[in-house]
Amino acid sequence: MSARSPRGSLSGVSTEIAEDFSDSLKDLQGNNKFEIGNLTLIAKENTEHAQAISKVLEDHIRTTAPPRKLPALYVLDSIVKNVGTPYTVYLGRNLYQTFMDAYTLVDGNTRRNMEGMLKTWKEPVPGILDNTPVFPPDIVRPIENALIKFRTVMVQNNRGVQAQQPTYRNTPTPPQHNGRYAAPPSQGQGQPYYGQVRSFSEQGESPDRWADQSHQPSAYQQRTFSPAPQYQQPLGFPAQNQQPVNDLETIKRDVAAVAAQRQAQFAANPYDAKTRQELDALLQLQRLLDTQVLDAGALQQVQNQISALAVAPPPPQPTPQPAPAQHQWQPPPSIPQLPPQFSAPPVAYSQPPSAPPQQPSAHFLDPAALSGLQALLANGQKPSTPQMRAAAPALQNASHSQLSNVQTQTSTQPTINGADLIASLTKNGLLPPLPTSNTTPLPTTTTAPPPTQQQSTADILASLTKSNLFGPAPTPPGVPTPANTARPRVPMTAASLKTFRPELLHALYTSQPNQCSTCGRRFPASEVGRAAKARHLDWHFRTNQRMADSSIARGAHRHWFGNELEWIKLVEFDPSTTSAEDAAAAEARHGASGAGGGAGGKGGKKEMRAEERYVRAPPGVTRNVCSIDFEEMKSTYSEELQDWVFTNAVVMGGKIVHASCAEEMLKGSQKGAMASALQGGLGGQQRQRSATPDSALGKRKAEGALAGAGASRARME
Amino acid sequence: MALPGLSLPGLGLQSSHIASGSNVPNAAAQQTARQEDLAPRTEWRFEVNFQQQYTIRILSGNAELFGVELASNQPYNFSGIKGAIFTWQGCRLEISGEAESEYLGQETDYAVEWLNVHGMLETARDDAQSTPNGDGGPRVLVVGPDYVGKSSLIRSLTAWAVQSGWTPTIVNGDPREGLLAPPGSMSAVTVGSWLSVEDGYGISPISGPTVSPVKAPLVYHCPYTSPTEKPEIYKSLLTRTALSVTNKLEENALAKHSGLIIDTPGALNDPRSNYATVAHIVSEFSISLILTLGSERLSNDLIRRFSGTTAGADAIPVLRITKPAGAAEKDAQFMKQLQNQQIRQYFFGSSKDPLNPHSHTIAFADLNIWRANSRSLTQAMNSSATMDDSDDDYAPTSSMGSSQDFERVTPSQEMLGRLVAIKFCAGSETDEVAIRDSAVMGFAYVSEVDEGKKRVRFLSPHPQRWGDRAMVWGGWPEAVVDLVG
Repeated sequence: MSARSPRGSLSGVSTEIAEDFSDSLKDLQGNNKFEIGNLTLIAKENTEHAQAISKVLEDHIRTTAPPRKLPALYVLDSIVKNVGTPYTVYLGRNLYQTFMDAYTLVDGNTRRNMEGMLKTWKEPVPGILDNTPVFPPDIVRPIENALIKFRTVMVQNNRGVQAQQPTYRNTPTPPQHNGRYAAPPSQGQGQPYYGQVRSFSEQGESPDRWADQSHQPSAYQQRTFSPAPQYQQPLGFPAQNQQPVNDLETIKRDVAAVAAQRQAQFAANPYDAKTRQELDALLQLQRLLDTQVLDAGALQQVQNQISALAVAPPPPQPTPQPAPAQHQWQPPPSIPQLPPQFSAPPVAYSQPPSAPPQQPSAHFLDPAALSGLQALLANGQKPSTPQMRAAAPALQNASHSQLSNVQTQTSTQPTINGADLIASLTKNGLLPPLPTSNTTPLPTTTTAPPPTQQQSTADILASLTKSNLFGPAPTPPGVPTPANTARPRVPMTAASLKTFRPELLHALYTSQPNQCSTCGRRFPASEVGRAAKARHLDWHFRTNQRMADSSIARGAHRHWFGNELEWIKLVEFDPSTTSAEDAAAAEARHGASGAGGGAGGKGGKKEMRAEERYVRAPPGVTRNVCSIDFEEMKSTYSEELQDWVFTNAVVMGGKIVHASCAEEMLKGSQKGAMASALQGGLGGQQRQRSATPDSALGKRKAEGALAGAGASRARME
Repeated sequence: MALPGLSLPGLGLQSSHIASGSNVPNAAAQQTARQEDLAPRTEWRFEVNFQQQYTIRILSGNAELFGVELASNQPYNFSGIKGAIFTWQGCRLEISGEAESEYLGQETDYAVEWLNVHGMLETARDDAQSTPNGDGGPRVLVVGPDYVGKSSLIRSLTAWAVQSGWTPTIVNGDPREGLLAPPGSMSAVTVGSWLSVEDGYGISPISGPTVSPVKAPLVYHCPYTSPTEKPEIYKSLLTRTALSVTNKLEENALAKHSGLIIDTPGALNDPRSNYATVAHIVSEFSISLILTLGSERLSNDLIRRFSGTTAGADAIPVLRITKPAGAAEKDAQFMKQLQNQQIRQYFFGSSKDPLNPHSHTIAFADLNIWRANSRSLTQAMNSSATMDDSDDDYAPTSSMGSSQDFERVTPSQEMLGRLVAIKFCAGSETDEVAIRDSAVMGFAYVSEVDEGKKRVRFLSPHPQRWGDRAMVWGGWPEAVVDLVG
């Protein structure tokens, strides 16, 4: 290799060397010390071309398959440690991108390796006198921060939506405690108080801390007994709403302080899973406080939790904490006694002695109806009237006002149950991020009001309903469900315009944490989302590659617009995330071409001739062997589809085969059976295969690109 | 050992970006890069003219422009835009380049309302999806005076809907500003892929790769500056658009559930006509929600008309949406430049997606040219006639008195610099209605009319000729003199 070209070398030489380097990289399959050493040597001998080599290396890390990313990263690591500048400069620039892109795509084991590697980058290279770290801290730190965020997101995802939005369930107390305002305080009030004290002592913690907080008796009461402030204000309980802003600021500060403390701990001992989880929870909490409006009760609770954490870094108990919050906020008959709680609602609903609007509803509210309602509740939505009617057939004949009472009732429960979520957040922070919902049921959203205080609750609710404050009650996120089922319902009224609904943002931002770093597009953290993002990144890559290819980009021209029929038949989809199967299915469904190009869909559900069929090439697949005639198929680029396709191909039994072969098989065998097999292979496509494949109707799309309106266009020339 | 890497870090990185066509802020601008911290629910408003380059990068946090989220650490370049980077969660921006004005906007109540409108539409879409044989998703009409943020609202709603997995259909009824098409058009597009921060709806299909996915519009020709010039023609175009859109939504379940949003020019806010055009749109598109911006009177009038007691069962909710405090008036010069830019980009593309237009010289005999008569055309031609007295080859005003809306004409110097719509209908077509309603296949720019040799040179976006097609031109958009050469 004529590496010794003069400095300021011609880019041609750079390119050549970079290509060589790239080829060697591609051969790197695993953690092979020899090969990595060899690549490092090449890099060392060609520092003049460091820029090109760095670029190639970055590209390789970005594009190679996830299992090969780690070896490639080891090459990077080896180069920066053994060669140093200028590679550290070049690779440092995009290090964040390089590292994080890889990190998001690899498995847990590799991630741990990467984290270990990252750690060494903060330190000087061993055996060298120089004391500077491998990469300067301002390069490594953003990555570390991102990793923390990343883990937070992971924890969140495992935990589901629930923990992300503690906002809408405000206090632990079931609604009956509203009764305080209508009736003198009863025994019921005291229960959580004792419960809490006991729970503190159970943990063996000093009651002093409790005393620390007890100098804010009003705040405490507020936390324990008040319903959500937004509901109180109109009723004239200003005392409930005292200085939430100040509280918020204080709490934010506290959270930040504790988070910093944990961060330090974490930095000292990055493999301590518990610290990490706590940190995750704290960061999450911080974000919550920044983005969402918490009511006073929840805030108070957050504060308590935070001060608990601040005073006592978690004792080194081997078993996870039994979630103090759980005990605190449950009335004494707590978790194990869920069944009574679940069965309570019928009683509650049917015994409102002095709640006139509710009374008429009592006789038709049988348990079945209520379980329907609860199912609705579990969905985390304030049920609309039609929904309620559907869910509870017994409600069919209910008047609207009756229903709205029930709606009010049901929709307040989550709101009033509030801080359980904070509790569960803490709990989840302390527990491993496993799907724990089965083992430890969360405090139920359906906690039912004991009958004793139903009366006053109903009064308040009734008056709330009257004063029309329950328009769009903020809905709790409910059980972890896909974003679209947790969407809040916003009625089309002027009244619902002004309320800020963070849950709408949640659907746009937090529920889709997986962001494309090029265009900012977001994807859900689910498997589907990850697959879509992988395709999306691949699309960016392909597009950029083609745009860099001047022979393609130079001759570009605008297409004619489509005519009406084409436009009507055109099925829009996102070419960057649509997989071959999706596109085929969509085409089959709509009987139109999925071409995103200007050529558009070609009129109608016509059969295509075999050689005109195509299958979009799955990302990364350029060659394929037809499993019928065992001939090789190569993908070609379709301008029309803006994607790589296999022509003369169909998907059969999950494999891409020659369309003509498939047709032959079809002719030779039982048509019906094959058709169904083929349909299965096409992922539920509904193409009518029984039509003669060689039908004269077999107008085809690529032609159709010129055909359709284009048929006459072709004539024009 | 040579250490080229020790030169200015950053420059090498940028040079690798030049290939992708992004504008690289020059060194001077780099030096003036400044940072701004935005609190949650505030926005950074900026007005950048067409000569200026303005670059924004998000260092931390999240932010969006017209509902499209910006990626972190990506430089976004703006020119010829009045916009606002809004943040829900707070963010830190790095800003470089120059702008006519830039400031931090704290008054952002509008954003909450807009988000709630999005929530309403989501609710309606969810409902539509759960009732497969129902009426489909929300069909929204947005009305209000000019420069109150109608298009911004629609872009935000579209971006949010797409982010939530829907494919809303957008109809642009304002011929002054094109949507995926040059001015003088009325277009409809079903948005199936994400919007771009810098380019909004992006680009209509081209033969090569594009930075963001292409979007294919259906385009009709509306050669008037305002619906008031020819209200009846405007209405018939709307009817035609409604027909196509309705058909499209019936074809595609997802599009149907995603619904429809219609943008309108400020001229629709016209009490004198008793909002005749608004009423027309409402019935043609079966509108299910009307959003009004900026005019309380309009809002009240529409509420009375569409959702008052007289409306009965057919009542349509009319909501008055807060106009964004940052909505800025675009003066005539800005609009003119915007239109010129749209026309230029139709042929030449943008810096990111450059295109090659093609030149076609066609004999008079092979052309079928129609002129759409209108007030603005008469005015334009009168003024050019008075300015250019020496040119007495044609008698400009005599034919203008014609009562015909569309008139078959032979090519003339009047066409120079104008956009001519190539319609799908045949050139032999004699029916004025067909000429009027036929969809547009593309636009050609008249770069030369040689009356001696009886031929016209066109600039066309496509290498193919268009054959025997009717071509129509009118008073809008105005002639652009400097498009070629």
